[in-house]
Amino acid sequence: MSYQIISIAGLLYIVAMPIYIVYLLTKNNKVGYAATSTLTLGALIHIYGFFQRFKEMYAINHSIMRSIPITNLYESLVFFALCLVVGYLLIEWKYRKKSLGVFISIIAGITIGLTDVLGITKEVQPLVPALKSNWLLVHVTLSFIAYAAFGISFITGLLHIIMDSQTKKSFKYIFSTTLLGFMLFMFISVVLDIITADDPKTVKIFHSTLGNSSIFISIISWITLGALIFIVWRFGHILSKILNSLKIDSNFLENITYKGIAFGFPIFTIGGLVFGAIWADQAWGRYWGWDPKETWSLITWFVYAFYLHAKFIRGWRGTKTSVIAVVGFIVTLFTYLGVNLFLSGLHSYGSM
Amino acid sequence: MSKIDKWNEKIWSFFASVDLAVALFIILSISAAIGTVIPQQTEPEAIVKFFSKFFSPVTSMKAYEIVSLLDLNNIYHSWWFTFLLFMFALNLIVCSLDRLPSLLKSFKAPSYPLELESLEKMPIKKKVEVISGKILDNLSKILKNKGFSINIFETKEGIQIQAKKWTKAKLAIYLTHLSILIILAGALIGTFFGFRGYMNILEGTGLHFAISDTGKAVPLEFEVRCDKFEAEYYENSSIPKAYRSYIRIIDNGQVIKFNGKETVVVEVNQPFSYKGFTFYQTSYGFQPSEHSEFRFSYFDKTGKEYKIAAKFEESFPIPGTSATASVIDFFPALGIDEKGRVFNMDTNMINPAVLVSFDEKGKKTEQWIIAKIPETWETPYGKLKFNELWGAQFTGLQIRKDPGVPLIYIGCILLCIGLLIALFLKPITIFAIIKKDGIIFYCPSSKVSSVFEKNIDEIINKLKGEKI
Ligand code: HEM
Repeated sequence: MSYQIISIAGLLYIVAMPIYIVYLLTKNNKVGYAATSTLTLGALIHIYGFFQRFKEMYAINHSIMRSIPITNLYESLVFFALCLVVGYLLIEWKYRKKSLGVFISIIAGITIGLTDVLGITKEVQPLVPALKSNWLLVHVTLSFIAYAAFGISFITGLLHIIMDSQTKKSFKYIFSTTLLGFMLFMFISVVLDIITADDPKTVKIFHSTLGNSSIFISIISWITLGALIFIVWRFGHILSKILNSLKIDSNFLENITYKGIAFGFPIFTIGGLVFGAIWADQAWGRYWGWDPKETWSLITWFVYAFYLHAKFIRGWRGTKTSVIAVVGFIVTLFTYLGVNLFLSGLHSYGSM
Repeated sequence: MSKIDKWNEKIWSFFASVDLAVALFIILSISAAIGTVIPQQTEPEAIVKFFSKFFSPVTSMKAYEIVSLLDLNNIYHSWWFTFLLFMFALNLIVCSLDRLPSLLKSFKAPSYPLELESLEKMPIKKKVEVISGKILDNLSKILKNKGFSINIFETKEGIQIQAKKWTKAKLAIYLTHLSILIILAGALIGTFFGFRGYMNILEGTGLHFAISDTGKAVPLEFEVRCDKFEAEYYENSSIPKAYRSYIRIIDNGQVIKFNGKETVVVEVNQPFSYKGFTFYQTSYGFQPSEHSEFRFSYFDKTGKEYKIAAKFEESFPIPGTSATASVIDFFPALGIDEKGRVFNMDTNMINPAVLVSFDEKGKKTEQWIIAKIPETWETPYGKLKFNELWGAQFTGLQIRKDPGVPLIYIGCILLCIGLLIALFLKPITIFAIIKKDGIIFYCPSSKVSSVFEKNIDEIINKLKGEKI
């Protein structure tokens, strides 16, 4: 089955992470080569899994265009991870810098891991008529490519903020360490969620921690979360020292942050907003309807437009713009997942 | 300067500022986000209910008052949101008008050598030590090959070269901004001159009016008839695979032909238009009516086919026999449970089946005939195939007239073109001074620092290559 192949790819991503760390610490070229190879192998298997899934869908739909596997939450997450890894490999190849590999591999690995444990439907599902549109296909594909580009900006933006923060009381430092602490907590929580789940199909995120039915565990979890954020905040400067000693240079980070957005913004505008509007126009008879998903896409667009204008016309420099890039991706994530989980709308990724 | 002029200038520079644009991005984002949280366009009760999830009943009522005062339950059509969009448009217009003339002028302006002082002020500078006799020729050749247009001046510091590439791409930003205005204009036209509504047409009937989104019946100049509606489902599931309506338009007593055909097929993602109105297939439903009829095909022993149509419980003769039959029960979605009993699963026609009662001179038998299962068509009186229950479904069509749509499409196309140029083609200007001991490169804009670096590196490599 395609999803087992894709799980293997996810495993390889996770394996690639420690190799990247060892590379960064030793700067041994052989290790670096091993890290890149592992990640690339993961990507190749991922692509193979993607085609396998395509075949499975083709067996149902008998149409090439209708069988591209990006029609539900699982498939879109998998595609997002693939874009992220491929995008990173291109950057690594172009700039000859492997410093981001650690972060990309772990995020791609976790994304696929999440689909494995969150009980998201992995079965190939038939398409409802509204989804049978070439516009929709291009719309979704381009949107996820843009999301991946924004994702890379997010990673570099966040690193940039952490590295450049001088004082612990500055907003940027608190902002980035809190976010990092939360992400760390979420990761641990997901691992616990997997271990403690009775049925791997019904794992709920935070079920074993914050949302535990036992108040005791729940409170402990909240305290742990707070403590974790505090620890990250307290020792964040070490992280920033490590990053600095790894010679991740902050101009590189700022540049990649911009490149990600400069690439993602037009793709998102064309694929996400314009093609989305055309599809809605043809399927529902309206190009814009202030549906929550549409509205949040617009907000995402505004945030990145804000980034471009602040950077180029107001002349903002450095971490100030990186904060916008980080916020932009949080909004993007909300558009992509949050809207379906918390708000209702027409789009189909809603049902897990 | 008079007071009025001063005020004019102030207002102008307010609307020409990018600060306003950046502020509007934030304000519009927050307002739009609020609209996705507070229920929109619903009755007051839903909003009070929404707030009572967080507050006490009294506070919820207060919250509702604020909501209705500020139109927070209809944000996207509220006066202040419209006002913000208007400001946004004005900002774009004034900002462009403010900057465009000087940009256009800069294209035409004759170039002149810059003072060393102003070169030194530029944010990017790079010194290279290359000495060779033909350095000017080589450098000009390389720059020209790379697509730069160049100007050369003799100055007291050395030879100054100004190289420009893609400077006209700066216009793309104006195209981008113009396209946003076009889209806003299209939306405005749509709101004022457009119409949106829906029609639920029962199979076999026609309608002369549509129900608008505001709930009013709006008469149409023509009649829309639905001759047939069909829905296909994935096997053993209630997920529709496709659904379509066979539509005819009757205008002034005449059936209108589309591409030579009287019947148009409307499917999801396949709308059709007539007289500025566009029809979209959006929904359907089960609605048995008086004119609903069961349609059968009867095959006698020679294989000859007879079409039969009968209403519910209406008896019809079986051709060539002395028996009569009638439909005494109907399931749109027949299912069979473990014990072999039949039951109905759904109101959609996933697996339509009829219970037919046969009567031959007082001898009665009953049999389920299922449209999709040929084995069930065999009866003691010959093969009776159940085709469909016609006239028992309605088709839900969205209807729209929006004269703003062409503008929206034009705006979208321009937006795409403008953005691609603006973000992928960076205009770049490089200044170089050739001195006795080498070349100094300058770049006036730090926006393009990486493009600059790349270009300079290539130029240096080439220069060195030519020397060897
Ligand atoms: C959502 C709406 C808008 C979008 C998508 C947008 C997009 C852009 C983009 C992509 C750029 C080019 C940035 C670069 O140099 O790479 C730009 C530049 C600019 N935008 Fe906007 N913009 C929007 C609204 C506005 C508004 C309302 C104003 C009004 C003041 C404005 C003023 C400018 C100016 C002055 C520039 C710089 C032109 C230059 O480089 O000389 N923009 N905009």
